[in-house]
Amino acid sequence: MPEVVVSIGPHHPALKEPVNFKVVVDGEKIVRLELDLSYNHRGVEKAAEQRDFIRVLPLMERVCGICSHAHSTAFAKGIEEIMQLEIPPRAQYIRTIIAELERMHSHLLWLGVAAHVIGFNTLFMWTWRDREAIQDTVEEMSGNRVHYGMNEVGGVRRDLTPAQVTAALERLPNLEERIKKYVDMVNKEETMLIRFRGVGKLSKEEALRYGTVGPTARASGVDYDIRKDDPYLAYADVPWNVVTDTNGDVYGRTRVRIGELWESIRIVRYCLENLPEGPIRVTAPRNAPTGEILSRYEAPRGELVHFIRTNGTDKVERVDIRTPTLANWTSVAMCLVNQNLADLPVIVAAIDPCLSCTSRITLLDNQNKKTGVMSLDELIWRNRSRDQGQERP
Amino acid sequence: MTGPLTLDIVAGKMKEFGNSELVRKNRIRITTTPDKVHDTIKIVQALFGCDRLITISAVDNARTLELIYHLTGPHRMVLSIAIELTRDQPAIPTTSDTLPPAAIYERQIHDLFGIVFTGNPNLNRIMLNEDWPANEYPLRKDWKPGPDTFYGGIKVERT
Repeated sequence: MPEVVVSIGPHHPALKEPVNFKVVVDGEKIVRLELDLSYNHRGVEKAAEQRDFIRVLPLMERVCGICSHAHSTAFAKGIEEIMQLEIPPRAQYIRTIIAELERMHSHLLWLGVAAHVIGFNTLFMWTWRDREAIQDTVEEMSGNRVHYGMNEVGGVRRDLTPAQVTAALERLPNLEERIKKYVDMVNKEETMLIRFRGVGKLSKEEALRYGTVGPTARASGVDYDIRKDDPYLAYADVPWNVVTDTNGDVYGRTRVRIGELWESIRIVRYCLENLPEGPIRVTAPRNAPTGEILSRYEAPRGELVHFIRTNGTDKVERVDIRTPTLANWTSVAMCLVNQNLADLPVIVAAIDPCLSCTSRITLLDNQNKKTGVMSLDELIWRNRSRDQGQERP
Repeated sequence: MTGPLTLDIVAGKMKEFGNSELVRKNRIRITTTPDKVHDTIKIVQALFGCDRLITISAVDNARTLELIYHLTGPHRMVLSIAIELTRDQPAIPTTSDTLPPAAIYERQIHDLFGIVFTGNPNLNRIMLNEDWPANEYPLRKDWKPGPDTFYGGIKVERT
């Protein structure tokens, strides 16, 4: 049978990202894959060269909607290392808490998307509901659901109040309960087993050879995890384990992500319970000395690398961002070979490409010609008082 | 190989390829020349078991174009192999034959910096639009958008 080229994307219901695949198929089997990522190039690296560090951080945060904290932390910790700043432990712990909450909401989002791709929409609804508990926690802590804006060069911008710590701790038991259910489901639920088992298989040798990162690599038995290999933030103090699996297929990747949810809860609980006292930031100098750093960070999708070169001014000479998704494309192209075309969405989704959304309220007071932003507490109070007809205390 | 990888081991073995230095905890930088980079990577893979390419970073320092290959392995040490290329028609042999993930990073660098990786089977555009003007490399320091040129279907507005 002659080979046929099927063009998928950039706009396609099965793809959540603007990417174009040219899939060469022979009948139902995939022979080869070519990809084009040019639909979303925004020139962030060039823009970063023209702004000072304070303005680069929010820019970095907007590289990705899901790993926003990952990008800003990777950049901030690189610059801090060049400046030789000693970051207070409380700031490191707060960064770790946000990082792990981000990992949890990202993995839950992924589980939902993967379930949606195989047509298991009940699980999609469940995980996205559970994800809300984490989003509420980050919103309480930072004021935002997606772009937290917690980092600055020298520490974090917001402290955690005892009430926020208690509220976050209270949400964890329920999440644990839910994750137990997902562990059970992934091993028993027929729909998931049929669609995940043996699909997109990648052996340990292949995973290493094709430079696979993150949960995709760990599902093939590769135990690379930057949090252990090159500890940053508070990971060296916290007891936790690297999750690996030997299945090497989409089923293995699901098991690794669910296992990581469990570890993340442990890390968040430890950090919340052992939050050190003290300042949350140090004053950073305006300029960074000439230097070069390879800042590595374990983002939810895998190893994120920021290569930063400074030149003695308040701007970077070069920041080179290598995202985990770019590293994983090679292995995706490889493990798609000889698979069914119908399995393409789930194999692509298994490396977890990301999407984002956000909304925020700005209040306009027409009579006084003022604008302002409402705090979360105020918002909740307004809602309750409207429902119950209460007056403000 | 057993035990941690130290600067002494690396510097001893890599003497003929160039200077090795410990830049910080678990980062070793080896400075070499473009003609030796292919052999250096092969040796590093064979001797130190570096089975993973983290990334290839490219920098334009206004005088030359720099390429830095970051590799790691079970020892968890990052070996950075740094080279410099001339800005005028920069070309270097590909490393995608020994390191398959290098292919996609080389495509990206070719797109943004205009470095030609000879022997790379597929140096097509990946980051920039297909209608991006030829011979314009946006991440080079001296790049300025042309006044009447279309970039991805739009013109840069003059103010």
